[in-house]
Amino acid sequence: MEKTWAERRRSMNNYLRQYWSLYVMLALPLTFFIIFRYIPMTYIQIAFKRYSIIQTPWEMPWAANNGFQYFIRAFQNQDFIYAVRNTLLLNFLDLLVGFPAPIILALILNELAFPKFKRLTQSVAYMPHFLSWIIIAGMAKQLFAPTNGLINIALTRMGFDTIPFLNDPNHWVGTYLLLGVWRNMGWNTIIYLAALTGINPELYEASAIDGASRWQNIRYITLPSLRPTIVTLLILNLGQILSSEFDRPFALSNPLVNSVSNVISIFVYQYGIRGLQFSLTTAVGLFQSVICVIFLFGANALAKKFGDRGIW
Amino acid sequence: MQRKRLVVIGLALILLMAFASMAMAAELVDGRFTTTRKITVEIYDRSNPGGSTPEDNFWTDFIKEGMLRDHNVEVEFVAVPRWTEDQVINNLLAAGDAPDIAVTYSYPTIQTYANMGGVVDLNPYLSEYKDLLPHLWDLLGDRNIYWNQDPDTGSIWAIEAILFQNKRINTFVREDWLNKLGLDKPTTLEEFEAMLRAFRDNAELLLGADADKMVPYSTSFDIGWRNDHLFASYVPEELSDREMFVFGFDDRRLLYPGYKEGVRKLNEWYNEGLIWKDFALYGAGDSTEDNMMKAGYVGAFMHNWDYPYRDGQEGIHANLQRLVGEDAAYIAVEPFKNDAGIYRKFLSAPIDRKVFFPATNDEPLASLLYLNWLANFENRRFLQTGEEGVHHVITADGAVQALPVTGEKIMNSPQNIDYTIVINGLDLGDPALTSKSIALNYAGVDARFIEAAYVITDNGARYGKNFQVGEITAEEGMGTVLSEKRNTLLAQAVVAKPGEFDAVWDRGFTDYLRSGGQAIINERAKKYDAMY
Repeated sequence: MEKTWAERRRSMNNYLRQYWSLYVMLALPLTFFIIFRYIPMTYIQIAFKRYSIIQTPWEMPWAANNGFQYFIRAFQNQDFIYAVRNTLLLNFLDLLVGFPAPIILALILNELAFPKFKRLTQSVAYMPHFLSWIIIAGMAKQLFAPTNGLINIALTRMGFDTIPFLNDPNHWVGTYLLLGVWRNMGWNTIIYLAALTGINPELYEASAIDGASRWQNIRYITLPSLRPTIVTLLILNLGQILSSEFDRPFALSNPLVNSVSNVISIFVYQYGIRGLQFSLTTAVGLFQSVICVIFLFGANALAKKFGDRGIW
Repeated sequence: MQRKRLVVIGLALILLMAFASMAMAAELVDGRFTTTRKITVEIYDRSNPGGSTPEDNFWTDFIKEGMLRDHNVEVEFVAVPRWTEDQVINNLLAAGDAPDIAVTYSYPTIQTYANMGGVVDLNPYLSEYKDLLPHLWDLLGDRNIYWNQDPDTGSIWAIEAILFQNKRINTFVREDWLNKLGLDKPTTLEEFEAMLRAFRDNAELLLGADADKMVPYSTSFDIGWRNDHLFASYVPEELSDREMFVFGFDDRRLLYPGYKEGVRKLNEWYNEGLIWKDFALYGAGDSTEDNMMKAGYVGAFMHNWDYPYRDGQEGIHANLQRLVGEDAAYIAVEPFKNDAGIYRKFLSAPIDRKVFFPATNDEPLASLLYLNWLANFENRRFLQTGEEGVHHVITADGAVQALPVTGEKIMNSPQNIDYTIVINGLDLGDPALTSKSIALNYAGVDARFIEAAYVITDNGARYGKNFQVGEITAEEGMGTVLSEKRNTLLAQAVVAKPGEFDAVWDRGFTDYLRSGGQAIINERAKKYDAMY
């Protein structure tokens, strides 16, 4: 039987009387998001307008070509095309190398027999996460410079050729990836280790009775149990495929490797902040966000298709 | 982002205050404001070893006291890192946090902000207050003050400080190594190359156990600056004024004819193992290369005309003498002749830093009085030479000889150029006395080194001229992007394999032109032809 309007209102009132305090508590975070997330978003229109430091975005005149002047200019800019290519390349390789690494490390840690040694290894492995990229770049120069770097000095003394870790584009990509793994691998294991503790020990007991080997344990119990975590993180990571860190490529790059190290964030820094072309770089930023959202939805849909829960 | 709105409100206030301050000009009694004003001033931070805090030290106290006494203006200094100044001042301007009196070597930065209404037009203030600024006019003259005036609108976004000694770059070699190897100072390119090879081949003799650290020739990521004399010698002598103007927007002169062949020479040296292999890895302000010079591993290099002799006890010369020996020293040489057999150097006109007031400046008169105060001979003389008995002694013939200073009274830059933002270079009022004193001005360095460097650096100089053609709109926002591309192109061309040099150069050069360089060339050519 249909509820009458009065009945519905009464149940609504009851509901509010019961839960109003929760809604009040929600007000604060909502205010935060409105002020610091949604109001600033109105400035996205800079991408479609001719920027001026003395006008509000509402007053700025529209850009040419129905406001799309700066998008057109970005895509005509060879540097931007390279920046997109480099961002995709570095992020994809980073995902390829950097994503499995913490899973492998977590599995190894999980198999360690001595708890003390396990804890020590874990701590040592996640320490680098607290170093900024500026410090790491400084260390990288001390280690990898062609003539003054420790490793190359050692190689030369042993009679080998020097390796251009930082001054040849191809080698640089390798150095970039490995430093990323070194810095982030330990930290990223934390979430997997947490998931590992959640696995029901009865499963392992049962498999022990069945005579399963360690490999079989990993293959048939541990990895499947980690699967939802892995999928969630993969989706989140794919959402970042066109977003770009600034300090990592900026600190590690030099004029010899610009052809691979100039990513979108560096493009934005050079043209926007240093070149003061704010409309152009806002357009680039907007483009970047749109692509990221597309990837996020795409990855989520794909995950659902393959039978996983996705992230929403 | 809320900041934007604040900026707008701020600007409205500034306009209001600007009117108010014009009305209050009458409140100046004997050059002093009746109510205390407050201004902020940019100061370069060189972070040199042993230096003092640039925004608060003996010299800032002198300026603060003087400005308060003479004009009733409180001065506060804002430190900006010297070697990344154009980036930092850009960031400050974008954030609306720039000091009232700002200084940069990058005019395009100022122009870009001016176009957005972010810079004060000095023209009306200069006309109105000219009588209050006699020292400024005495020092800079109409030439430097009106240097940047737009031919159409009359606006002046920045005045040019004066470059009192127009000195730029020198080529330095280790004198003691020449002696050890029985070589003369190189006077031709061939001799210079032979010398570099001799350094390389005699590393054991010159450096002993450190032989593997030998760097015959060192350079930095800023290839254009650090090899200037070599490249200048490849530019044909009959370069016209028009070419100098049209191609002159890159201050490393990348676009001058012949430049590529100079870079090719450097590429040959690199592939022969004559050049420091790590040069491209270290950015501006990094001390790695200086440390190698101090330790005595570097045979030759090009740099600012007095570079090894700067910084007294902390400098390259003093360290070299301490670490290597009494006879170890760099001396300036002049090996690079152009096609007419002249040791040609390209020098700018006598302009230096550009001083401008961001639109957030609400004290234009107090700020102009500050510049006038600095231009006052007594004040700048003290800033340049310091206290007698502490910073200098007067020699028998009246010259000013600098003394080494450490601690609170140390000068963070040669002759405090960072504080004397209207003048770069020593001026004692009498040209003969000045040049005599300059040679004595490097405490702990034998005067003969300074004299050699002083003479060579502008021998055969060709000076830039001022062509007021108005704004080149194609340059807007492109300065840093193009400089970055130039550095990339040059570094990659230097390390290219010999067979790939042309391909690497052509690719980078085409990219440079296509990314805005060609548009600037075209606009400059058009405006030049219309004007002259």
